[in-house]
Amino acid sequence: MSDVILTMKDIDKSFPGVHALDHVNFEVKKGEVHALMGENGAGKSTLMKVLTGIYTKDSGTITYEGKEVEFHNTRDAQDAGIVIVHQELNMLGHLTVAQNIFIGREFKKGIGIDDKKMNEEAQKLFEKLHIDIDPTETMSNLTVGKQQMCEIAKAISHDAKVIIFDEPSAALTEAEIEELFKIIRDLRKQQLGIVYISHRMDEIKVITDRVTVMRDGCYVGTLVTSECTKDDIINMMVGRVIYEDPKTVSNVPKDAPVVLKVEHLNAGRMVQDVSFELRKGEILGFSGLMGAGRTETARAIFGADPKTSGDIYVNGQKVVINTPQDAVKCGIGYLSEDRKRFGIVVQKSVAENSTMASLENFVKGLFINKKEEKKVAQDYVNSLATKTPSTEQLVVNLSGGNQQKIVIAKWLVRNCDILIFDEPTRGIDVGAKNEIYKLMNRLAAEGKSVIMISSEMTEILRMSDRIIVMCEGKKTGEIDISEASQELIMNMATREIN
Amino acid sequence: MRKIKENPIIKKIGINRIVLCGVLLLMYVIFCLLSETFTGMQRIMSALNYAYFLGFLSLGVTFVIATGGIDFSIGPVMFCSALISGYCLTHYGVPLALSLVISILVGVLFGIFNGYFVAYWTVPPFIISMASMNIAKGLASVFTKTQSVSWPQSADANGWYRNLVKVGNFPVGLVIFLVVAVLCSVLLNQTKAGRYILCLGSNKEAVRLSGVNVKKWEMLAYIICGALVGIAAIFFVAAYTTVQPGYGDQYNNEAIAGCVMGGTSMAGGLASISGTVIGVFIIALLQEGILALGFTKDYQLIITGIIVIVAVYADVATRRRKN
Amino acid sequence: MSKGVNAPAEKKTSIFSKPGSQKIIVLLVVVVLFVFFSVLSPNFRKYTTVLSIMDYSYYIALMAIGVTFPLITGGVDLSIGTGLICYSLAGGYLIVHCGWPTWAGMLVAVLFGVLIGTLNGVLVSVMNLPPFLATLCTCMITRGLGSICSKGFGISWPTSGAEGSWFRNVFKITIGDTKYPLGFLWVLLLVAIMAFVLNHTKIGRYTIAIGSNKEATILSGINVKFYHIMAYVISGFFAGLASIAYSAVFSTVQPGTGAGFELEAIGGAIIGGVSASGGAGSIGGSLLGVFVICLLKTGLPYIGLQANWQQIITGMVLIGAVMVDILKKKKTATV
Repeated sequence: MSDVILTMKDIDKSFPGVHALDHVNFEVKKGEVHALMGENGAGKSTLMKVLTGIYTKDSGTITYEGKEVEFHNTRDAQDAGIVIVHQELNMLGHLTVAQNIFIGREFKKGIGIDDKKMNEEAQKLFEKLHIDIDPTETMSNLTVGKQQMCEIAKAISHDAKVIIFDEPSAALTEAEIEELFKIIRDLRKQQLGIVYISHRMDEIKVITDRVTVMRDGCYVGTLVTSECTKDDIINMMVGRVIYEDPKTVSNVPKDAPVVLKVEHLNAGRMVQDVSFELRKGEILGFSGLMGAGRTETARAIFGADPKTSGDIYVNGQKVVINTPQDAVKCGIGYLSEDRKRFGIVVQKSVAENSTMASLENFVKGLFINKKEEKKVAQDYVNSLATKTPSTEQLVVNLSGGNQQKIVIAKWLVRNCDILIFDEPTRGIDVGAKNEIYKLMNRLAAEGKSVIMISSEMTEILRMSDRIIVMCEGKKTGEIDISEASQELIMNMATREIN
Repeated sequence: MRKIKENPIIKKIGINRIVLCGVLLLMYVIFCLLSETFTGMQRIMSALNYAYFLGFLSLGVTFVIATGGIDFSIGPVMFCSALISGYCLTHYGVPLALSLVISILVGVLFGIFNGYFVAYWTVPPFIISMASMNIAKGLASVFTKTQSVSWPQSADANGWYRNLVKVGNFPVGLVIFLVVAVLCSVLLNQTKAGRYILCLGSNKEAVRLSGVNVKKWEMLAYIICGALVGIAAIFFVAAYTTVQPGYGDQYNNEAIAGCVMGGTSMAGGLASISGTVIGVFIIALLQEGILALGFTKDYQLIITGIIVIVAVYADVATRRRKN
Repeated sequence: MSKGVNAPAEKKTSIFSKPGSQKIIVLLVVVVLFVFFSVLSPNFRKYTTVLSIMDYSYYIALMAIGVTFPLITGGVDLSIGTGLICYSLAGGYLIVHCGWPTWAGMLVAVLFGVLIGTLNGVLVSVMNLPPFLATLCTCMITRGLGSICSKGFGISWPTSGAEGSWFRNVFKITIGDTKYPLGFLWVLLLVAIMAFVLNHTKIGRYTIAIGSNKEATILSGINVKFYHIMAYVISGFFAGLASIAYSAVFSTVQPGTGAGFELEAIGGAIIGGVSASGGAGSIGGSLLGVFVICLLKTGLPYIGLQANWQQIITGMVLIGAVMVDILKKKKTATV
C-alpha cells in the first residue's frame, strides 16, 4: 500500500540565463510533514510554483493520487486538493473572516447571501482546527498570525489533501507558532500531506518528519528528521566547492577610522537593537536568510523607512537621517534590491538615470548641462563596461545586469563615501558579476566603505573583510573573514531555541 | 529594426506629432470644403481666441499630468482669477497691470493649495480637484457678490490689455502663446525642475530613494499649473470680456483632452508640450468648425469626449502591450 | 518578503476601527448643524424650511446611494451630475413634446441612466481606462446629449395640477392642508434596499472585494469584469432615479447644468465614510453625509451667509473628510 500522495520526479525548469530546477525529485506521503529546505535561490519556491501550476515545467512528471497530472493554474490545483498558503497573504482586508474564507462560493438564502450560515460553517471549521478566531471579525483587524490561520482554514475548506506552507512562521509570534504547530499536527493526523518550507532549523526539528534539501536548483537529498542533526542539514545546504577565491584576510588595517556607526537601531520587528561599525576602506558583508531584516536595517539607516530609535554617526559626528535626502547629504548611497521598482526610472535614459542623485552638480544656472551629463554617463558606461548602444538609450531596454550597473553608476557619480549594496549581483550573469566584484574592491581600495547585503554565501566569503549575520531582526554574529566559514555563518543565520 | 521601433518614446512622440499635424490640416480642409464661411481669417481668428486660454490651461495641466496626477479645478480657477482680478479693476480701481498680476497670483495660490495636499498629504488628486473647484467657484462668487464682471473694451483707456491677443489683424496672442509653450518645453526638458517632475511621474519611489525631495517638486508642478491658469484667465477676458461666477467646468475636459491627445500619458512620466499645443489647436478648430456647420457646442462636447476616450485607450493599450 | 511582517503582536484598535463609528460621528454632525441653524435663525425652524431641505436633498441622496458603489471599488463616477440632467431632458422631452405618458418618460430616463452606466463600466472594467477620466468623458458626452435631446431648450416636466403630474406626489404629498415629504420615505426605503444589496448579496460583496484587493478577487475565480461593470450600472441607474427626483422638485430643467452635482453626492459619500481608496463605505453613511452637505447648503443663507459660501465650505468639509480618512489609515499602519 502506497502512502505516497504526491511524487515529483526529474523536474526540470529553466529561465533565460538560469537553470532553476535541475532534475529535482520530491515526494510527499499522506500524514507526514515534509520540510523543504535550502538557501535563497535554491529553487524551493520555484518547485512549488511548478507544482501548483504557476510555472510550466520543461520536463519531468508529477504524480498525484496515483495519476499523472499537470496543473495550469492555482485554481485547478486547488480544486484537485493541492493548496499553497503563501507568505504574501491573498486576503480581502475589508471583509470579515468568514466572508474571506467563502469568497466566490457563498451560501445563498433567497436572493441574498446567507452570512449567518457562513459564520456557522467558519466557526465549525475553526473548531475542527482548534483555532480561536471570531468569524465575524474584519480581516484587517487581525494580527498577521491570525490572518495566516484564516488562510489555512480557507485551504482546508477547499478539501485540501496536500497543503504547502511557504515560510509560515516568518511573521508569527512564539505563541502563534505553537498554535500553528497544533494545527499542523491535527492535519497530519487527518492524513494530509504537508510541505513545510522554512529555514528555521529548530522548527524543522520539532514539527517535521522528513527533510529534503535543495541547493542551486538541484536535489541534494532527503533525511529523516529524527535521525539527523542540524549540522547534517547545514552541510547539505551549503556543502559545495567554492570556485572563486574567498578572502582569507581582511584588507582593512586595525586602526582604520570608523566611517559609520550605528547604535541600537530599532525599526519594528525586523530591526531590533542593531549596532555595528563600518571602517574606512572596508567591505562589510551582511549575511542572513530571507526575512532576517538586513534590507530593513539598510533602509532604516538610509532614511527610506522610519525608525523608532537609534543613533547614526558618520565620521564620528552624530547625524539626523529621516529621509533619503538626509542620508545622501551625509554621503550615503543605497542600491535597493528591487532595482526595477526602486532603482531606475524606466522611461528615462542611461544619462538621466546616472545623474538622478546628483543633478545639482550638472546644473548651470537654471539649465541642465546635458553635454556634461552625457559625458559623465559615458565615462561610467566605459568604466563599468555597461552594454548600451548609447547614453540616450532608455534604461528599460537594457538587460538586468546592465540596469544594475546604471544604478551603481548613479551612486558613483554622486561620489558617496558609504555605499550600501543590497543584493548587488542578483539576477546578473557570471561575467557581469565578476566586474561588479572588481569594482567593489576598487572602491574599497580608493577609501570608500561598502556594506554588502547578500544571500549568496560565495559572494559573502569572497568579498567581505568582515561579516555581520542577522536573523529575525537581530544581529546574531560578527565574524572577521579570517575566521569565517559557511557553516559558521549558516549557524548564526538560522534560529536557535533557547 | 525592432530596437529602433521600440526605441525611444522620442520617436513615438515624433510619429504622434506628425499624425496630429496631419489631422489638424485634414480637419481644416474638410471644414473649408463643407462650409463656405470657413475660409478666411475671420474663422481662424475666432478659433485662435478659443485656443489661447484653452492652450494655457492645457499647458498647465500637462505639468500636473506629467507627475501622474490630475487637476480639474483649472476651469473654475481660471474664472475665479478673472473674476477676482476683474473686480479689483472695475470696483476697487486697481490699475490694470496690477490686476493682471493678481490674476496670476490667484492661480498660483490655488496651485499651492492643490499641490500641498497632493504632495504632502497624499490626498488623491481628483478629490482635491473637486474640492478646490468648488472653493474657487464659491470664492469668486463671494468676492464679486455674485455679479459678473466685464473687463474693459478695447476702446477704453484700460483696453490695452487686449493687444495681448491681437493688434489689428496680427495675432499677438499666438506669438505669446507659442513663446510660453517654448518656455514650458524648456522648463520641462532642460531644467532640474522639469527633470524631477517627469521622473517622479514615472517612478516616484526610485526618485525619492535617490535622495530627491519629491514632495517639493510634485507641489511645484501644481504651482506651475496654477500660474498658467492665471495667465489663461487674462487671455479669456481679452477675447470674451465678461465672466460669470459659477461656471468654468466645461473647459476642464477640453484642456485635458488637448493634453492627452498630444501624447502626454495619464500614467505620468511622459509629456509633450508640442503635442499639447497641436492637441489644443485641434480642439479649438473642432469647436469652430462645428459651430460653422451650424451645429451646437453639444456636438463638439460629445466628439471631444469620444476623442479623449480613444486617445487614453490608445495610451493604456500601448502601455499594456509593452508590459 | 512577507507582507505585514512589521505588524505588532497585537493589532492596535482605535475608536475609528470599530465599524459604524464614522456613521455615528456624522449623525452627530447632522444633529449639531441642525440645532446650530435652528438656534441662530427662527426662520430655519419652520416646517416649510424642513420640507424645502428635504425636497432639495432627494436627487443628491439618490445620486449618493448609487455612486457609493463605484467609490467602494476604488473608482469614481463623475458623469452622474450632467447625466441626471441629460436623462431628465430626454424623458421630459418625450413627455412634453411627444405626448408620451409620464411613466414612459420616467422609464426612459432610468434606462438611459443604466445605458450610460454600462458604458462607464465597460470603459473602466474592460478597457481599463482610469475611472475619473472615463467618467469625465461620459460627463462631457451626456452634457452634449442632453442638450441635443431637448433641442437646446429647457424642459419642464408636468407641473402640479397638470395632467401627468402625479409623479410629483411621489415626493411630496398634500393631505388636507399640509404637505408631507413622502420622498424621504422612498429614500429611506432605497437606502435600506441598497444597504442589503451591499452587505448581503453577491453584487455588493464582490464590489467590496474588488475595492479591497482586486487581484485576490480575480484569483478567487470571481468574474471581476462583470461585477466591476455592475457597480457603474448601479450608479447610472440611481442617476436615472435622481433625474426623476430632480424633475419633480425643480420646475424647469436646463441643459448645460448639472456640473457640480456629482461633487455633492461624492462629497456626501466620503463624509459618510466611504474611503477614497476603496473597500470601505456604507449606504447609510452616504445618506448622512448628504444631509451634512444639504444642511450646509440650505442653512447658511439663514444665518446671513450667501449661498456661495456653501460651495467654499463644502469644498473644505470634503478635504477635511478625506484627511480624516488618510490620518485614520496612517494611524493603523504601524512601524
